[in-house]
Amino acid sequence: MSVGPPVSPSAPLLTVNDVFLWLYLYPVRFLSLFLHRDLLYTIGRVGEIFAQPCSRRWKRIVVDRMLAADSGISRTDAPRLARQLVSNGIYHRLDDLVLSRSGAGHRLRCVGAAGLEHLEAAKAAGKGVIVLSGHFFASRLGNRYLATIGHPVLTVRHRSPSHVRAGRLGRRLLRPRIDELLHRVIQDEVSAHDRGCTLKILQRLRSGGLVDIHFDGRAGARPFQWPLMGIPRRFSSGIFDLVRLSECAVVPMLCVGRSTGFRIVFSPRLQLVMTATRDEFVAVNLATFVRVLEEQVQNNPEQWTLWDQP
Amino acid sequence: MTADSCGSSPAPSPDTVNRIRRVFIEALRLNIHLENLAYADTLDEAAGLDSVAILEFVLALEKEFAVVIEPQFLQFDFLRDLSRLASYIEERAIPGRSPS
Repeated sequence: MSVGPPVSPSAPLLTVNDVFLWLYLYPVRFLSLFLHRDLLYTIGRVGEIFAQPCSRRWKRIVVDRMLAADSGISRTDAPRLARQLVSNGIYHRLDDLVLSRSGAGHRLRCVGAAGLEHLEAAKAAGKGVIVLSGHFFASRLGNRYLATIGHPVLTVRHRSPSHVRAGRLGRRLLRPRIDELLHRVIQDEVSAHDRGCTLKILQRLRSGGLVDIHFDGRAGARPFQWPLMGIPRRFSSGIFDLVRLSECAVVPMLCVGRSTGFRIVFSPRLQLVMTATRDEFVAVNLATFVRVLEEQVQNNPEQWTLWDQP
Repeated sequence: MTADSCGSSPAPSPDTVNRIRRVFIEALRLNIHLENLAYADTLDEAAGLDSVAILEFVLALEKEFAVVIEPQFLQFDFLRDLSRLASYIEERAIPGRSPS
């Protein structure tokens, strides 16, 4: 299994990001076992006082990317949205701690689940459903909530998240702990690096189940390039292979909010054109997939976690 | 029955094993002769490079033998064990179906 990019000897030994990560993984995580969620969120508010100024460079990158993209974001709104992204990122991490507790799924507060009929109709077709989503802060909350109402979702995840701001110690010692934590949070998951990954996905689909794939995730061995909000972006071809070969349904899902109140929206099943070959299938259907993601990001720019990743 | 408990059947026929190996070569578009194929090693290698190839192999197997592999048998280690895979397919394949 891949363990992420090699640690560059030129990277600093320790970064500010590593310090935040250590605080999060040890003292804050320990406290989260005992503290009420409201108190945990208070820690988040205190953390934000330090995180906002420390994220100045990151926010500048995000603002530049927002303005460069055809995102509909104005020059005056972009800095506010970047600050909101930092804030949402903090609460997202705290919600992960909430989710890592046993029985957490039942403590989630979903304030609205729209379009469940689309999901149920797609499941009724009997060939399984790929839930098409993007990297939005509340996606994990949504999947855990769906499991509590009888729709368990297998999440496909790339292990080893971004290492860009981590130092050598952070990469070696803290990132593996993050992976362990995320496994406790997501629970029902398969690693994209697992050699039996596609078989596990097919297994779930053939059982009539749900598989969540973040379409904006890391591109695999055979990526396709297509503009997302006017900027070329590489997309993985894996989802297209899975849909074509398994003939499953594809239902877009968007989940936004926090564990104290989030909403899920399912859109109607995508009407895809089945073709004889893989390349034709991608050529005909790629734009449909990208359009879904584009609308989700444009309507919820402060919820999308990948602004900093080209 | 689970993938772990399957495999107590009698040894599969060499014909079935060779058909599986042939389907494997064709599905993965390998440039290799049947007799030179190291099945398990090549499967490992293929899975490491492109796990969709494994999916294509499974679907090609199902088409070749007119079987549907049940979800609980869709496991990498089960596919890797050629003898167990061949026994499983022989138990479920439509009798008398000739190789395509």
